[in-house]
Amino acid sequence: MAETILKVENLAVNYGYIIALSNINLEINKGEIVTLIGSNGAGKTTTLMAISGLVEKRPGSKITFKGQDITKTAPNKIVHMGMCHVPEGRKIFPALTVYENLRAGALGNKSLTKARFDELVEEQYTLFPRLKERYKQAGGSLSGGEQQMLAIARGLMMDPDIVMLDEPSLGLAPIVIEDIFELIKKVRDMGKTILLIEQNASVALSIADRGYVLETGNITLQGTGQELLVNPEVKKAYLGA
Amino acid sequence: MEYILNQLINGICQGSIYALMAIGYSVIVGVVGMVTFTYGEIMMIGAFSSYYIFTGLSNNLPLAILGAFAGSFIIGSIVYKLCYERFFNAPRHISLLCTIGISMLIKNLAQIVFGPDTKPVLNVIDNTTFTLNLFGANLNIRLLQIVVIVLVIVFAVALTLFFNKTKWGVMLRAVSQNKDASYLMGISVKRTALLGNCIGCGFGGIAGILLALYYGSVSATMGASYSTKAFAASVLGGLVDIRFSALGGLCIGIIENMGIIFTSATFRDVFAFAFLILILIIRPQGFVSKKGARV
Repeated sequence: MAETILKVENLAVNYGYIIALSNINLEINKGEIVTLIGSNGAGKTTTLMAISGLVEKRPGSKITFKGQDITKTAPNKIVHMGMCHVPEGRKIFPALTVYENLRAGALGNKSLTKARFDELVEEQYTLFPRLKERYKQAGGSLSGGEQQMLAIARGLMMDPDIVMLDEPSLGLAPIVIEDIFELIKKVRDMGKTILLIEQNASVALSIADRGYVLETGNITLQGTGQELLVNPEVKKAYLGA
Repeated sequence: MEYILNQLINGICQGSIYALMAIGYSVIVGVVGMVTFTYGEIMMIGAFSSYYIFTGLSNNLPLAILGAFAGSFIIGSIVYKLCYERFFNAPRHISLLCTIGISMLIKNLAQIVFGPDTKPVLNVIDNTTFTLNLFGANLNIRLLQIVVIVLVIVFAVALTLFFNKTKWGVMLRAVSQNKDASYLMGISVKRTALLGNCIGCGFGGIAGILLALYYGSVSATMGASYSTKAFAASVLGGLVDIRFSALGGLCIGIIENMGIIFTSATFRDVFAFAFLILILIIRPQGFVSKKGARV
């Protein structure tokens, strides 16, 4: 039995009177790629924000990360525990250079030594050679795909145990999306656990070990990536079959 | 001609003090993300800190600068706690109104504690004047002016190095650009914003002591007119860009002093703000260039 790294139980979030999420249960094992798919407004981003501590959760929700209850932990403390959240829309620091963006990414890990920091920077440059070419350029001057790469690299700089990616394919050309997903697989091969949130269900499910389908704040289906890929309901709703 | 060149020198000197004020102001607005109205009072506190060091201890300039920085830094942390920290997620106007209230409070408390009269700050720097002969015109440069300009350059360079080379600098810049993303990097946004606010206030304090030296006096109400100049210079620089804000300050100083060649010195503010309005009509974003950013 694989070790569970992140467990979400009975997660519920309200925005004012609107119920955004109710009774969400997720389990992510070490070394897996787990994807959470769903259409616009299903609550995917809210789920991630709730896990990272960026939105308030309703009483009864419980989130456990590496065996510790993080339901009420401050967002920066959760990051210090080894959770990396690459937000939707990338949110890189536009006026910082590529190298400085990477440096900012490492700020969350206080136990990082200088030698390990340099090693991590080299790791990112090997994984994303484009960033090495542009290390002196301002983050805001990169193309959309490069910014996404920078956002992922910045997240990996804190040497996290789990990487949560929020719609990495958003607004990118199909060919760039392929590159990004190849990279996600490589990141998993480096020993990281990945929680991937996507609207682009077919690509996400094809690389995922397991998947959950989220509809209007509830999890309606779950299974392995392959199972969901051939599931008639998923096909009809998300894959356009 | 001689008069114009001498006014230019005065303008550069005064402009460099405005530049330092604007730098501090931009740091505050950039990192905290909100405009402040307490900045004039912060400068006044810096000026009074140095005044008490000059009169109580000795005419030791480095010590007074340190005192001014520390005094304003501490008041800055109190302002942050009262005006910003509690209202981080509240609508912005609440913090804004709070800073107006705190500004009035500090100003009036200062009149009670320090007294309402203007106090002299004299003989800290020798009243030496150097005369330069340039193309037949005699330029008079006071030692004080040289000291002021050199100090402003030193502090501006020090701040730039701090922002670009240190871990804290990267943290402050990250917070000023995107607070949500900073949370996700594990940065304590509130603590970083507190530091940014205090550093900005510290620079305001140093600007305060330079004003005290330049005009030879301090008073509890001195902050008001300078805070609007700092704001204007900062707006010229796009509010959060340190280099352009400094340029804005320098321009305002020069324009003011060149303007009063033609009229009386009481009209100096007219030139400063007319220049601001003119620039904003032509370039609403100020001097700063947003070209190339794709976010």
